[in-house]
Amino acid sequence: MRPEMRFAIGLALAAGLATSAYAADDTIKIGAPFNVTGALSSLDAPALNGAKLKLKEINDAGGVLGKKLELVIYDTKTDPTVIASVASQLINQDKVPVAFGFTDSDSVLALGPIFQQAGVPFITPGATSPKLPEQIGDQVFLACFGDNVQAAAGAEFVAGKLAGKNVYLLRDNSTEYTTLLAKYFEEAFTHNGGTIIGRDDYKSGDKTFTAQITKIKAGAKPDVVYVSAMPDDIGLIVKQMRQAGITQPIVGGDGYDTPLLTQVGGKASNDVYYSTHAYMAADSTPGIQKFYTDYKAAYGMDPENAFAALGYDTLGLIADAITRAGSTDPAKIRDAIAATDGFAGITGSITFPKDVRVPAKTVTMIGVKDEKLFLAGEVKPTFIPAP
Amino acid sequence: MSRAAAFVATIVAVAVVAGLVAILPQLVNDYIVRVVIVMCISGVLVASMGLGNGFTGVFSLGHVGFVAVGAYVSGILSLSQAAKHSYLPDLPGWLSGITLPFLPATIVAGLVCVVLALVVGAPLMRLSGYFVSVATLGFLIIVNVVLINAVDFTRGARTFTGVPLETTLRWAAGWLVVTVIVLARVVYSPTGRRYLSVREDVIAARAVGIKVLPARLSAFTLGAFFAGVGGSLYGHYLGSFSPASFYMAYTFALISMLVIGGMQSISGALVGVVVVTVLSEVLRNLERGLDFGAFAIPPLYGASQIVLGIIFILIMIFRPSGIMGDREFGLGRFVKRKRA
Repeated sequence: MRPEMRFAIGLALAAGLATSAYAADDTIKIGAPFNVTGALSSLDAPALNGAKLKLKEINDAGGVLGKKLELVIYDTKTDPTVIASVASQLINQDKVPVAFGFTDSDSVLALGPIFQQAGVPFITPGATSPKLPEQIGDQVFLACFGDNVQAAAGAEFVAGKLAGKNVYLLRDNSTEYTTLLAKYFEEAFTHNGGTIIGRDDYKSGDKTFTAQITKIKAGAKPDVVYVSAMPDDIGLIVKQMRQAGITQPIVGGDGYDTPLLTQVGGKASNDVYYSTHAYMAADSTPGIQKFYTDYKAAYGMDPENAFAALGYDTLGLIADAITRAGSTDPAKIRDAIAATDGFAGITGSITFPKDVRVPAKTVTMIGVKDEKLFLAGEVKPTFIPAP
Repeated sequence: MSRAAAFVATIVAVAVVAGLVAILPQLVNDYIVRVVIVMCISGVLVASMGLGNGFTGVFSLGHVGFVAVGAYVSGILSLSQAAKHSYLPDLPGWLSGITLPFLPATIVAGLVCVVLALVVGAPLMRLSGYFVSVATLGFLIIVNVVLINAVDFTRGARTFTGVPLETTLRWAAGWLVVTVIVLARVVYSPTGRRYLSVREDVIAARAVGIKVLPARLSAFTLGAFFAGVGGSLYGHYLGSFSPASFYMAYTFALISMLVIGGMQSISGALVGVVVVTVLSEVLRNLERGLDFGAFAIPPLYGASQIVLGIIFILIMIFRPSGIMGDREFGLGRFVKRKRA
């Protein structure tokens, strides 16, 4: 290795150490690992922005237990190896008593075991797999509803408002979220008397969906097409379906909830419906309205999706738990989170039933008309498939 | 260097590594230890990739396919009974009944990869140049599709989780040492010379009586064994993974380490791993923003990838054959440099 190169690496290392050494003692540190870059950035970045907004609110109001809160933010780059490293960095280097982050279950699964082992509680604002807490352990909580709940809500919405009896089910078979969502939807929809008349798979990252679209058009005409998709793909899918003449309503889950749907889909995104956590618009509930204006003031743009509000609520939930725990001891914070009863979030009230770490919440259905989002309904499903 | 001196040098090197492994966790926190574990795992994978790609000149893009097979095979074997019942209820009886400890599971994973490499390699290793790259890329895609569709064994696209977290620093470093010793013994032996001659000129190699297919196939197979071992280490390090973890992104991450370090030496592979891993970690921490009191740099997430890309381009411009090229680390003056 050349001497210059050695010097450069040494310098970089020294700078790296300098940053990690910087920390203040009069704050309560809260870990915030998010996939700010990579495939999940369109969901994770808004969630982090929402959390930062809440952070400012809490600190302006005097902080928690007389101390200011401080977010220890890491970009985990949608890479499980980086996530595992960051998890141990948060615990061993930054020594955070509690952390929150991510909007997908794969990331939480990569980080969870390390937090579980260390006995530090972790709340995910947006990973909706209802199986997560049992898969990892008693330190992991969800601040959002589970996929079984939103799929059931979608199924009731299709059968009710859209009067759909025959549904074609298209799913992305490359992620846990989309496969589970499709499974729960089918369970709930057939339980309520509907029929799945056809099904097909594709893989996240595919750019042409001609094969799948031809198959839909070849069979009996469905009333509704349910597409269980990741955020990056749904815009393209909708566009290609509409171009091929599939005009039926397209329904899906909270993966649709990114600006990509209307940006990439354009006119094709009309008559698309999806279940999500909150209706983010100026004419929504008072809590969301206030959040909407504050977010716009802070970042110069509308909140991208409901994950922004979930990030906001999750930090609120943590601050509330620390206040009730009266301490920054991880075990006490965990018990306080588990005991949360009726925390008034802007995405709905959060209560953790005894020994259940997924809250029961109402599902918001959003539709697209004239390339604009509108509130299509609020659903509290009657039948919920087992996780 | 005489045989005895080489033996002593190896023993000393192993002792030094063992000593480092023993004291490292006392010196630094768990985060640094984890980075070192990741480096050891990548070291196993990149060095074994270098055997085929660098020494025999068969540029395979399918290495990660073997890593995936290794991770899944060892994962299925070492999952506890309870975990098997809840995650893989449809597993055939003979598989659901057994739970192997980490070491046997890892070795079995490597052996499964060997068998797979023989089957896949027998036709593919007859190809050269771009053709073999494309064909092995096809292998990677096939592995990915099979993993996604063999739902009974792999949970399909859903995350394969519940794998015991067994990959400690000792295991990772131990396997790295084994890998390096085995590869070095092969590469700097008559067999290794055959690899080089096959790489440099197939026709000339044939003319002096070297059979091309056995040379390439043996390198491919040995590489696959350690890919399987590395996959097992990776799986037991993270505890959960999905087919998407072992695809294009991981392939190119490993290839960039190999190319940066130098494809034609084992030291190159290891240097590449260390340089790329340390740079990514340092840049990842730097991009969070700096606060010097007087002035502060705001966080720029994603900057690390850009800077890393630029550094790679610069290395490729100024050192096209990688940092090490075809040189190996010697033990200073005591051991003379081995030239390929």
